[in-house]
Amino acid sequence: MSTEDNPFDGVAGSLNAADARLVETFGWYTVAKKEFRDAVRSMGLWLLTVVFISIFIVPVALALYFDFNVVTRGGQSLGMQLLISQFYLNIVTVMVPIIAIFVGYASISKERESGSLKLLLSLPNSRKDVIVGKVLGRCAVVCVPLVIALGLGALFFAASSVALKPALYAQFGLFTIAFTAVFVAIAVSISGAFSSSITSAIASFAAYIYFTFAWNWVANDGIGALLSQLGIEGSLRWHIILGTKLLNPNQAYKTLTNAMLANGESGALSARFGMFSQGGLLSPGLPAESLNTICGSVLGGSPAQQETAFGSARVVCNTGSGLPVYFSDPAVFVYMLLWIGVAAAISYYTFNLADL
Amino acid sequence: MAAIELDGVTKRFGGVTALQSVDLTVEEGAIFGFLGPNGAGKSTCINILLDFVRPTDGTARVLGYDAYEGSTEIRERTGVLPEGYDVYDRLTGYQHLEFAIESKGADDDPDELLDRVGLSPEEGERKAGGYSKGMAQRLVLAMALVGEPDLLLLDEPTSGLDPNGARMLRDIVREESERGATVFFSSHILGQVEAVCDSVGILNEGELIAKDSVEGLRAAATGDTKLVVTVGGDDAAVETAQAAVADLDSVVDTATEDDRLTVDCDNGAKMTVLNAIEDAGITVEDFEAQEASLEELFASYTDAEPAEAVQ
Repeated sequence: MSTEDNPFDGVAGSLNAADARLVETFGWYTVAKKEFRDAVRSMGLWLLTVVFISIFIVPVALALYFDFNVVTRGGQSLGMQLLISQFYLNIVTVMVPIIAIFVGYASISKERESGSLKLLLSLPNSRKDVIVGKVLGRCAVVCVPLVIALGLGALFFAASSVALKPALYAQFGLFTIAFTAVFVAIAVSISGAFSSSITSAIASFAAYIYFTFAWNWVANDGIGALLSQLGIEGSLRWHIILGTKLLNPNQAYKTLTNAMLANGESGALSARFGMFSQGGLLSPGLPAESLNTICGSVLGGSPAQQETAFGSARVVCNTGSGLPVYFSDPAVFVYMLLWIGVAAAISYYTFNLADL
Repeated sequence: MAAIELDGVTKRFGGVTALQSVDLTVEEGAIFGFLGPNGAGKSTCINILLDFVRPTDGTARVLGYDAYEGSTEIRERTGVLPEGYDVYDRLTGYQHLEFAIESKGADDDPDELLDRVGLSPEEGERKAGGYSKGMAQRLVLAMALVGEPDLLLLDEPTSGLDPNGARMLRDIVREESERGATVFFSSHILGQVEAVCDSVGILNEGELIAKDSVEGLRAAATGDTKLVVTVGGDDAAVETAQAAVADLDSVVDTATEDDRLTVDCDNGAKMTVLNAIEDAGITVEDFEAQEASLEELFASYTDAEPAEAVQ
């Protein structure tokens, strides 16, 4: 379709210029644009919008309905923090990857099956352009309903008695968009690595199970046992285990959001420390000695013993010499986004070897 | 420089050999017909040229570039009508063309392209998911023409086209050839290749069994067109008709059955035969031409002499 420039319409003019520049500069841009245009017209996207909206509206709508705003501390309403940590975090980490897989698992394999990939690759698009363009195009496609749903969520917060904290909510939105994009990228990448949509769906589902349910267990018990075998103890052991945990986008998203909710300097420290089992009513948690090591020599905090209401002692982690950069929030955010690149690179490697 | 150079190209899928050491050179500016039955390996060959699949052995060069290393450069200068493609259901004809134009960094006018392939602007505004097979084929042909390509790779381009569409395609092939483009045209129909190409390669069961000029192809196919003529009148009329054509130079053999006369003749001699019957005062009620089958053509090449010697 030829877009006609209106000389009086400066915005459209500069958008067209930017579009032309992107076409010229990036091989993947044309593919991503086509992908976006194509997918944005699909019925599935509207279905997706409905699902996203219900995910982000239902908790706050219930809060609105039941006039929920009981938690205050120091005269400050903590309703939104509570909703995010108790509802959103769990719903998002369980539901969003499923949605992302639904959006991405067939994105390349279906084109391979139908033959439209031949059209794509008959034109001077390299296989790298196809993978990168597909990943970025699909991510953009998912962001549309997600941003709509987050925006509506904000409106509901504003209307409810739960105070809307715009900065906090915007940050939560950013983390959620990044987390969603990571899983879309993983699903699209898997789609590029398999020749049929069925195998791609199975592989995507396996990846989902692994990230959501198995990874943390493997990091705690599997890697833990391996390190014990190798005789790696103390600070190094807990560095490796925490690093492994943070490489899971699921865990990264949770700990980033928790750090944000805990607020302040010590937010990141307590969120990272909270990734290790402190023990509860049902499980004993890690021994105090290990928690002391984690707090002190891994997280640069200052461990202290605290009496619990039940009379037993527990370890709390107070601010100390400072969190090392590689466990800080910006670093964790980068680890999460790295998945987009890693997934695309692996996908390109396999896709490039394949006969189409 | 040759537009296409295949050197000992072999492709095996698992245990199945799709191509067996194919050597083929297509000169620049040629309209090359690539003839062979379905499953002969034509598409595999084209897929290798486009780096969709990679040869097990041998090398392929297109427009001077290695098919693998220079794939993007090749596709920048090549227009492709692939076989077994699918259009994007939710994108309009115009959006397809825009995508091709942007991908190629060209500045073609989409309306002009649609007009060349016989699609109206209204059809261009429609989503391609609602296109018939023939319309989709025209759209993808228009995409192939974007950016004045140096090479056109057309894989079974007439499939899905009605006779008008096939004529449009032939006109486009000639126009593109006059502009200086090389055309590589694959088909399983002898008549399609014969009508437009100047040289041909014949592929059967993954092996290139012959490479020939189109005149050579016609010669090889001679006598293999069967013309079945139904004449008005009694047995005597049939015999008269038989006598009228039997001595023609272009006729190889004749036979009669009831009121039908079967004539084996040169491919281009149909009208000569029919005119001769009418001149003898016999009415032709109906006639049917059974073109030479590819299998018969293959036999005439393979029985005669080895492929290399034909060239």
